[in-house]
Amino acid sequence: MLGHWAGRGFLTSMWLGSALITLMSLPYFDFETLPPFVIEKLPLRFESLWLGALRIHVAAAALSFPLCLLLMTRALQRRATWHRRLGRVSGALVLVALVPSGVVLALDAKGGPLVTAGFLLSAAIVAGAMIIGVQAARRRDLALHARAMRHVIGQMSVAVVSRALIVALDAVGVDPDSAYVAALWAPVLASVAVVEWLSSRPLIGHRNRFELVERIRRELSPFALLVRIRAFFRPVLGDGR
Amino acid sequence: MLSFVPSLATADEPSLVEWTEQRVEAGLVKPLAERAGSRFSRSRPPPRERRIRVTQASLSRDKQGKDFVPFAVDVRFGAGDWQQNDIVGCAYRASGSLFVQRGEAYFPASVLLGKQVAAVAGACQAAPARS
Repeated sequence: MLGHWAGRGFLTSMWLGSALITLMSLPYFDFETLPPFVIEKLPLRFESLWLGALRIHVAAAALSFPLCLLLMTRALQRRATWHRRLGRVSGALVLVALVPSGVVLALDAKGGPLVTAGFLLSAAIVAGAMIIGVQAARRRDLALHARAMRHVIGQMSVAVVSRALIVALDAVGVDPDSAYVAALWAPVLASVAVVEWLSSRPLIGHRNRFELVERIRRELSPFALLVRIRAFFRPVLGDGR
Repeated sequence: MLSFVPSLATADEPSLVEWTEQRVEAGLVKPLAERAGSRFSRSRPPPRERRIRVTQASLSRDKQGKDFVPFAVDVRFGAGDWQQNDIVGCAYRASGSLFVQRGEAYFPASVLLGKQVAAVAGACQAAPARS
């Protein structure tokens, strides 16, 4: 029960965070004015390339993150055709636009090599997990597919969590340069740990086990079994008349 | 020797240091403080405090013969120490124009307010003294 609400809380906060980031990123598409994040970076060696990569990254994230969150919902997972179609769109967005542009930005990241390494690690996890997840889905290995896609979502959630951490660390007076490094690495590593922990848990908890057994028993009651056997053989045997 | 040269400043006029501080406050520090927008971003949080330091009490002259005063802006985050030279630049005495250093070059100070402007060659660079 707690896990169910934690999952819903996570999805809701990520939806809100994603929407807020998208809203705050709109100035990146004002070609007349430079936003503060870009001004801090000046002068850039390859300014046009960097700004182009930033805009592609922001646009790809604004589309792919909500799509991936949508794909995590039960409602869409039950609709296999739509899940597959939207999955392909978000997979392509992530692998063709989000990760490559993120790598370009990471190479010139604010905060130096440690921050570059953090962003590159996150990009590698996203790309690797997405490829593994797609391959697993094509093999119908749904357990591995779910685990891989949780890693993709986990790393995407770093965008929201790290911004929230930057605000929180600033509020308690932590130096912004140290806060920036900590606010990146902590959620990157924590996401990996949480996803692996979630994936290692048994699918059926102790509490639900009794309920599940009861449902199976009801499904396999002698009468239900008889009806099913009759339904199966009916086309072969005819109706007996 | 200089003490024999009559000062052009009257009692009501601010000194060079005061003029530079007022110019930088009005043209840079205040607009920067007003511009501090979204905090849910990867950009650096706005500092708690900014202070202006005029790093030279006398005028320097660039290659074009224009007089300027160099300045620096220090910042403080939270309860931490002052971080010196967060912004380094100069104020031109005649025009009041402000320039700031980004990398090796000097740009009009409006670059810090988001304007797309090009670096100005020779700005804030004192011409070699003539012998």
